[in-house]
Amino acid sequence: MMEVEEASFDKLYDVYACMQCGKCTGSCAVSLRTKLNIREMMRIAILGNNDDLKEHEEIWDCTTCGICTVRCPRDLKPSEVIVGLRSVLVEEGEVPSTIRDALESIGNNNNPWGRPKSKRADWMNDLGVEVKNLSAGDEAEYLLYIGCTASYDTRIQKISRAAVRVLTKLGVDFGVLGEEEPCCGSEARMMGESGLFEMLVEDNLNLFNDFGISKIITLSPHAYNAFKTDYKDYKKRLEEEGIEVPDLELDVVHYTQFLAEQIDEGRLTSDMMNEFNKTVVYHDPCYLGKRNNIFEPPRQILSIIPGINLVEFERREDRSLCCEGGGGKMWSEGTGTGERNAVIRARDAGALGAEVIAVACPFCMSTLEDGRSTAGYEESMEVKDIFEILDEVLK
Amino acid sequence: MAVFVFIEHREGKLMDISFESLSAAQKLNDTVVAVVAGENVSDLAEKVAKYADKVIVAEDPKIDTNNEAYTRVLNELIKKEKPKVVIMGHSSMGMDIAPALSVDLGLPIATDVVKINPEGGKIKVTRSIYNGKVLADYNLKNADTYIITIRAGEFSADDLKEKNGKIEIVDSLLKDEVADKKFVGYVQPVVGAVDITQADILVSVGRGIKDKENIPLAEELAKTMGGVLSCSRPIVDYGWLPKERQVGTSGKTVKPKLYLALGISGAFQHVAGMKGANMIVAVNKDPKAPIFSVAQYGIVDDILKVIPALTQKVKEIKG
Amino acid sequence: MDVIVCVRKVPDTAEADVMVEKSGKDIEKSRLTFTINEWDNYAVEEAIQMKEKYGGTVTVVTVGQKDVEDVLRRSLAMGADKAIRVDMEDPDDAYTLANILCAVIKNQKYDLVLFGAQSGDFNRGVTGAMVARMLGIPHATMVNGIEVLDGSIKASRELEGGLNEIYEIKLPALLTIQTGINEPRYVSISGIRKARQKPLEVLTPSDVGVGSIEPMIVLDKMYMPPPGKLAEFIAGSPEEAAAKLASILKGKGVL
Ligand SMILES: Cc1cc2nc3c(=O)[nH]c(=O)nc-3n(C[C@H](O)[C@H](O)[C@H](O)COP(=O)(O)OP(=O)(O)OC[C@H]3O[C@@H](n4cnc5c(N)ncnc54)[C@H](O)[C@@H]3O)c2cc1C
Ligand SMILES: Cc1cc2nc3c(=O)[nH]c(=O)nc-3n(C[C@H](O)[C@H](O)[C@H](O)COP(=O)(O)OP(=O)(O)OC[C@H]3O[C@@H](n4cnc5c(N)ncnc54)[C@H](O)[C@@H]3O)c2cc1C
Ligand code: SF4
Ligand code: SF4
Repeated sequence: MMEVEEASFDKLYDVYACMQCGKCTGSCAVSLRTKLNIREMMRIAILGNNDDLKEHEEIWDCTTCGICTVRCPRDLKPSEVIVGLRSVLVEEGEVPSTIRDALESIGNNNNPWGRPKSKRADWMNDLGVEVKNLSAGDEAEYLLYIGCTASYDTRIQKISRAAVRVLTKLGVDFGVLGEEEPCCGSEARMMGESGLFEMLVEDNLNLFNDFGISKIITLSPHAYNAFKTDYKDYKKRLEEEGIEVPDLELDVVHYTQFLAEQIDEGRLTSDMMNEFNKTVVYHDPCYLGKRNNIFEPPRQILSIIPGINLVEFERREDRSLCCEGGGGKMWSEGTGTGERNAVIRARDAGALGAEVIAVACPFCMSTLEDGRSTAGYEESMEVKDIFEILDEVLK
Repeated sequence: MAVFVFIEHREGKLMDISFESLSAAQKLNDTVVAVVAGENVSDLAEKVAKYADKVIVAEDPKIDTNNEAYTRVLNELIKKEKPKVVIMGHSSMGMDIAPALSVDLGLPIATDVVKINPEGGKIKVTRSIYNGKVLADYNLKNADTYIITIRAGEFSADDLKEKNGKIEIVDSLLKDEVADKKFVGYVQPVVGAVDITQADILVSVGRGIKDKENIPLAEELAKTMGGVLSCSRPIVDYGWLPKERQVGTSGKTVKPKLYLALGISGAFQHVAGMKGANMIVAVNKDPKAPIFSVAQYGIVDDILKVIPALTQKVKEIKG
Repeated sequence: MDVIVCVRKVPDTAEADVMVEKSGKDIEKSRLTFTINEWDNYAVEEAIQMKEKYGGTVTVVTVGQKDVEDVLRRSLAMGADKAIRVDMEDPDDAYTLANILCAVIKNQKYDLVLFGAQSGDFNRGVTGAMVARMLGIPHATMVNGIEVLDGSIKASRELEGGLNEIYEIKLPALLTIQTGINEPRYVSISGIRKARQKPLEVLTPSDVGVGSIEPMIVLDKMYMPPPGKLAEFIAGSPEEAAAKLASILKGKGVL
């Protein structure tokens, strides 16, 4: 029996309940362009053979979008089984070298991008507005958690800067952690490095506690999902292992939820905005939509922008086409051939006459920026984060 | 007092580092004595004599391009001539030989040196450490002879003065053949299996190459420069080059001596894979392209014009 | 095959801003991250692959204070059997270091000793070959391929310009390993935790039996190089720019 560290696949994931119906594969975000057949992975988990596993490099193709888990009629979690299978490979050191480098970098630098900690706050250079730094003694109601990609990726840094300007204009009492901001660990967990994730949960809960942080606004749906769900599970795990962790209930929101609340409470209104005369299509990120059923808030924000022409993808909300940004895909090309989902997505947007694809996730920004160029829309279409659009229109 | 220069040669050709070592030696204003050891090296010795006050030629078939044999020959010569300094390249060969000599003769050694400053009878050297971010001066312990290996590219051979020294042929100094370490031969790494992570020179193309038809242009430049062709991810996506050639976070991380980025914008995921290169040169028609912020040299122009021109110039230089 | 690997913990300075301390004797290290020297990681992997193929043991050795122990734990998690740390400040001078390492290795059973070709901080590339000389065994530096024969090995050395040279070397021998010789495995956090059970021996300098050694080279001062320029743009027609670039590359020894 193949075992992940804590228990057998059967105990953890109830894999024997799988009836091999293949609904998961039918819904899978990447089954059409990679070798990944999630139903087959379920079978491997049932049969349990480590040697088999090494030959299935497509294990790294999964974007952990979670749609298979949504679709499974037996309420199984195939997307979690994949993570479990990955962790077996991680423990054996059998991971693609790019994934290895990303994981090592999380361990060494507290970010998967191989960048030094000392440059984590570079996105704040010449920002023009004062931001509280909660790691330097400032106090604020909310932590704005930027995340690794939005700290280091030069394109995505623009989202972080826009976020700070928008929240400042709205008079929100928030701060950041600057260079001290840690990796949330979401990608580490999804790549199967649960030991590393557990360590981050322990460290980060302590860090949040030390700096008096309990309310968090995240830029990334991945960080949101981790803080909201996985930190709870792992906190329990740590306690069971007898490791002391601060008794801290994190109150986490994704920024689109936070802004939607501001609208509901009348603090963010159309009157505050200039017109945005463009056709815009919103792309649902998997970690907001499929995994957390947050579909309305981003749409609500976009809809109050004056002049905007909002259109919708046919594949949207829980049927939205995954951009292939999650689950470690940032660091692995996998077995994929043919057109990337992001290119298909850009084409679909083009067909709708969209001039802007609105996103609410750093990974979606990465993949769709690339997909847009490849699809030939360099001149005629932009990819913008909702924060960037607000930054543009807010008076 | 003399400065010894160990002359590196391979398959009948003098290596560039030998001239750089001669240049470093000349700057010490002492008698420059070049040591040429090996089999059939007399014509090499003549080329070297141009820049040395004296050339010692140790002809010996037993040397058989074996680094251990070179070490033993040098050992004997140093004992005999007691030079003040021995200079050689911080090359693959120098790394094999110099530390061994230091231990065998009990002489102080400084490796990978970028500057040599004699101060009276003493020697101070400058080394570039922590990825070139810090310079450090070191004093070598007082000794009759100092061993120094120099970093390539730091002592320009263009500064060489002609000396036209005499050639002295010495008897074989190698007592026996080396028993425990045998030179087997040179091998060219297998062609076909291109490994961009091992190349010294990478010519890398991005979306700016525009068309599959233009790839051979870049391929020819790479070949002319003695390098290998790599690319950004879209080029792989288009199917113009295989996956193994992709540089970046989801491709390969490379650290060549030269990375020539042609029509690559410098996206974060790409730059993360190549920023460790010793030298980055970018050609892009957009002066604002982010790639220029990591490049040491830039040309703002159409790559389709620059590539053929550069191929031509490199051909001329290489002769 | 019993293999000893010498490893070292170094600061990662590839991208970080590095500043020299006021004393001029060291750099400011508080904001740097430290990891196993990249070359040593390949050396450990190579040793473990040999063990997996031919049996035997792998012992990792480092000289340094307690804070460098994590590179040993990591190597143990990778598959090394035993670790030794000589408890003292890492000497400033490679000759001193080589003496200490020689004294440690001498008392171990070994067929092969592996070093990194150089370390990422000081890039001297000298310690390994010195130790070989002190042990009185043959060596090869910059090794990028190893083939194990009966009582000897074939080592491929990386030369400039993409060429390799092959040596046949009698065992016991010492090799310094170049990056790229293999694909080092990932070491998971829980693997490192589990490796805490493996033996880690701490020796004092007097256990090792080395007294004071006169260093061969002594640091005078460290300082910052003149600030580097941003990209230098080469102007002119494509032909002119190409000609200028070609001569710059030639001048820098790249061509
Ligand atoms: C998850 C993920 C992983 C990724 N991983 C990688 C990776 O590993 N490696 C990678 O490279 N990318 C990767 N990318 C893609 C990356 O985001 C960029 O899209 C890509 O690097 C851009 O490639 P490029 O510079 O060739 O093309 P572009 O960004 O389109 O740039 C083309 C450049 O060429 C210039 N140009 C055009 N014509 C000419 C001409 N005639 N003469 C001179 N200049 C000209 C233009 O000015 C422009 O700067 C990844 C993306 C994602 C989402
Ligand atoms: C000013 C100064 C500051 C220094 N600061 C530090 C410091 O902050 N931290 C620090 O760790 N050292 C420090 N040293 C010690 C010095 O780095 C050692 O003498 C070491 O030999 C230098 O590495 P190298 O590049 O010369 O090694 P190389 O000759 O390039 O050889 C490297 C190989 O030797 C082996 N090796 C190197 N060091 C060790 C070791 N300690 N134990 C076991 N094997 C080893 C490894 O296999 C490694 O790959 C400092 C030295 C000086 C002069
Ligand atoms: S959908 Fe559920 S039950 Fe059906 S094959 Fe997939 S995991 Fe098994
Ligand atoms: S999580 Fe998404 S990509 Fe992964 S197997 Fe399930 S459907 Fe496919």
